[in-house]
Amino acid sequence: MLGLIARKEFREFVRDGRMIWAGGLMVVLLITSVLLGWQQQAAVQAERVASQELDYDAWLNQGPRHPHNAADQGMHVFKPSPPLSIIDPGIDPFVGSTIWLQAHRQGETKFRPAQDATGLKRFGNLSPAWIVQVLAPLLIIILGFSAFATEREQGTLRQLLSMGVAGRQLMWGKALALVLALGVLIVPGALLALGALAGGASGDVLLRFALLCLGYALYLGAVIFIVLGVSAMCRHSRTALFVLLALWIGAVLIAPRTIADVATRTFPSPSRVGFDEALSADLDGASEKEWMRNFNVSSAWDPKLPLSQWGKALQVDDHSGYGVLDDHFGRLWDTFERQQKLQEAAGVVAPVVALRAFSMAVSGTDFSHHRHFSNQAEKQRRLLQEVVSHDLIEHADPLGDRHFSYKAGPELWAKVPRFTYDPPGVGFALRKHWLSLAVLIAIFLASLLFARTAVTRRLSA
Amino acid sequence: MSRRGTLALVVRQEWRMLIADRSLLLVLGLLVALITYGFANGLAEVRTRDAMVESVLQAEAKAGRSQLERFDRIASGQELPSPFNNPANPAIAGNGSGRQAVLPSAALAPIAIGQSDMMPNSYRIGTRSKVEFMYDSEIESPWNLLSGHFDLSFVIVFLLPLLIFALTFNLLSSERESGTERMLLSQPLGLGTLALGKLIPRAAPLLAVAALLPILLLLAFRSEAWGAGWLLFGWAALVLAYGLFWFALAFAINTLRRSSSANALMLIAGWTILVLVMPVMLNLLVERLHPAPSRTELSIQTRAIQADNLRRYDDLFSGDYRYIDEPESLQAKDGKIEIPARTMASFLARRDMDKRVDGLLDGFDQSLAGQQAAADRLSFLSPAVLAYEGLTVLAGTDGQRYLTFRQDVSQFHDGWRARFEPLIMNGVAITRPDLENLPRWQAPPHDRRGAARALGWYVAVMALCALVAGVLGCWRLRRYTVA
Repeated sequence: MLGLIARKEFREFVRDGRMIWAGGLMVVLLITSVLLGWQQQAAVQAERVASQELDYDAWLNQGPRHPHNAADQGMHVFKPSPPLSIIDPGIDPFVGSTIWLQAHRQGETKFRPAQDATGLKRFGNLSPAWIVQVLAPLLIIILGFSAFATEREQGTLRQLLSMGVAGRQLMWGKALALVLALGVLIVPGALLALGALAGGASGDVLLRFALLCLGYALYLGAVIFIVLGVSAMCRHSRTALFVLLALWIGAVLIAPRTIADVATRTFPSPSRVGFDEALSADLDGASEKEWMRNFNVSSAWDPKLPLSQWGKALQVDDHSGYGVLDDHFGRLWDTFERQQKLQEAAGVVAPVVALRAFSMAVSGTDFSHHRHFSNQAEKQRRLLQEVVSHDLIEHADPLGDRHFSYKAGPELWAKVPRFTYDPPGVGFALRKHWLSLAVLIAIFLASLLFARTAVTRRLSA
Repeated sequence: MSRRGTLALVVRQEWRMLIADRSLLLVLGLLVALITYGFANGLAEVRTRDAMVESVLQAEAKAGRSQLERFDRIASGQELPSPFNNPANPAIAGNGSGRQAVLPSAALAPIAIGQSDMMPNSYRIGTRSKVEFMYDSEIESPWNLLSGHFDLSFVIVFLLPLLIFALTFNLLSSERESGTERMLLSQPLGLGTLALGKLIPRAAPLLAVAALLPILLLLAFRSEAWGAGWLLFGWAALVLAYGLFWFALAFAINTLRRSSSANALMLIAGWTILVLVMPVMLNLLVERLHPAPSRTELSIQTRAIQADNLRRYDDLFSGDYRYIDEPESLQAKDGKIEIPARTMASFLARRDMDKRVDGLLDGFDQSLAGQQAAADRLSFLSPAVLAYEGLTVLAGTDGQRYLTFRQDVSQFHDGWRARFEPLIMNGVAITRPDLENLPRWQAPPHDRRGAARALGWYVAVMALCALVAGVLGCWRLRRYTVA
């Protein structure tokens, strides 16, 4: 019976053109976005890998140089583009991917791609994730709003029920038809994405892909049951359509922005100027304290300190700043994460927010992964500083004014290892974002319960 | 009865019905709430940015005072000069007294947050290289940048069309579905008059609120808006043209003689394509037409230039450093001052960096300008793009304004360094009057003439889109048959 109901529904979707026109557009967009994402990810990743190599080679082959000059020039590290960014680029357009590791101060990722784009970028990014998150629910509404309401209007619902077809059977049959329709429209894009990933993909990536499918299945499943529930509750298909469109507008368009604004007001981020000023003030304070403790001078690089002590001074100065940098950057990033956590929890009223958080996390394109990379880059920077200051202590100037004449060579440069970024596994993503998965599961179960209740109570009424 | 009299009769009748079924009041109430909330968000954001600009200018004044005080202490012998902080040294003064280049918010900034949450509106100018200060960006949670803000531009561009649909999806179909269509048209009443009579009481109050309420809010809560002059008319023209387009589209779809549900579906499909899909596709297209050069490549080239500079000025970088033992040698004497070799090397390396990197950075600006020009040319494909671009131009938060600001900052920085270069190269000491009279950044006013040109284009194209939709509707109306 289930198969029969599903076949009949599916045939209707195709016959009245809804699936061809609305679904066709989605398939075209989906496949285009996968192909573009694939091409872009491959190009970006190849460029970053090559650049990382070039940069390290330049570091190794910089020739004889004073270590402080070498540390001032520093090195660059490039954030690898995660394979699943083909599906969900997440926050990548709004964060940089390059960190300049220099002496004295923690670097931040530079070059947000969105800064090299026009305001059109703010309308959204064509990605499979965006299409399924925003457009797929609308497609489900277009296909499913009339599921029960039209049967009721045409009088066929009463006939079906009088023939002994149970309401729940009808619900599952219609749900199956919607799943089939979505499958036909989405699976080709998903398979294409899997094909793009399959070449050399690790087990972690495949596991992430499977989790991504689970997250989207929960989301779309919830939408299907909400649509069927509303259709069962409404006497007229027109009412069902308007209620569902209003829900879509509220949940997909309005809620994410409103929730983001509420999160910003609840946990405000500092301004660039405010952040930089506070950081500089605390760095200066910490530095002066350490200079006094170690060298008994009142300010950093005090003229009373002999040049022979500058290697040690550099080390003291750097060490004095580590705690301050951890504190300031930690607080800033905690603020971003708190803003995000609040939004994930608010996903109960706007499932798309919970899905977005989960999708980005599993794709490795969320802020937690970005923070992980930034922390690894900072470790590399501190390592570089340590190597340099250690060398300057070992080669302290015995003459008094020749501190900067000393030149280190390739042996020293080779002591700074190549920066190899090992992205965290899927466990990291799940630990950080279990809440969004929990919200998605809760929404799915709640929508299933809602649809069952609506069908049981209203169809028999 | 004349046609005008019939139209007035239909308008009155429709008005009474809209009031009676409360749909108009509901939609208007919702619009007022959305506009107020969006405006409040935009205003809060602008006030934050204004406070930031103010704090930046205060920091500039404080740094200037601190430089003068140190100058006096060193000149009077109370403090020994150090290689890092001696305001008489032009290389140090050029950085320590660095001006802040700021971009103040425009009069109508609360309308649209636009690019202001991402692009910096202040840069600290000094003798540093551009690669050291022009790559910064404003701090904002990337999640929020991705989500976007709930500001007035969002209400107008995204939500206003949906409210228009709520009032118009069954403009003609409701008469047919309730069986009154035949009766009405059996009277001396043309279909065109009926449609127009139904559109007027819906469009007039909705568009009046959408166009005028934000103006009132701006005048009440943003004193600068009183001087905005014609920009306020520009706002009204843009909103009216945009609203009329959606009313015209709704009218055209109603003339297809489909059911109310089908009308609603077609309208929402049209909205999805024009507001959600088309801007995203346009962005993709303009990025393909004018791709930005690779920032990764820029980093690698920057590193190579830096390495060259370190090699070129290696002698200076490695010179003796007797200033710790002989700080008095850093004192200005007879208008001259000894510039420590490392300080000189650092200045020269940064100067040379800019000379070589300027061309690379220009490539990014050219690409962005190309993208913007292409987006403007193609914006007729989506009224949502026209409206968004127009609103950000009015608000002074459009990409072009930030691009111009960046170019102005770059020029000011060049001039600033050029002022110090001969002093550094010739070892000329900075005097107190020099420090007091360093050039100041003149914040560029919002280019209203440029905004007018851009806005005129957006409004004209949008009005044309509305006209096309309206003409299509009228053409269909001629073929409209009453079954």
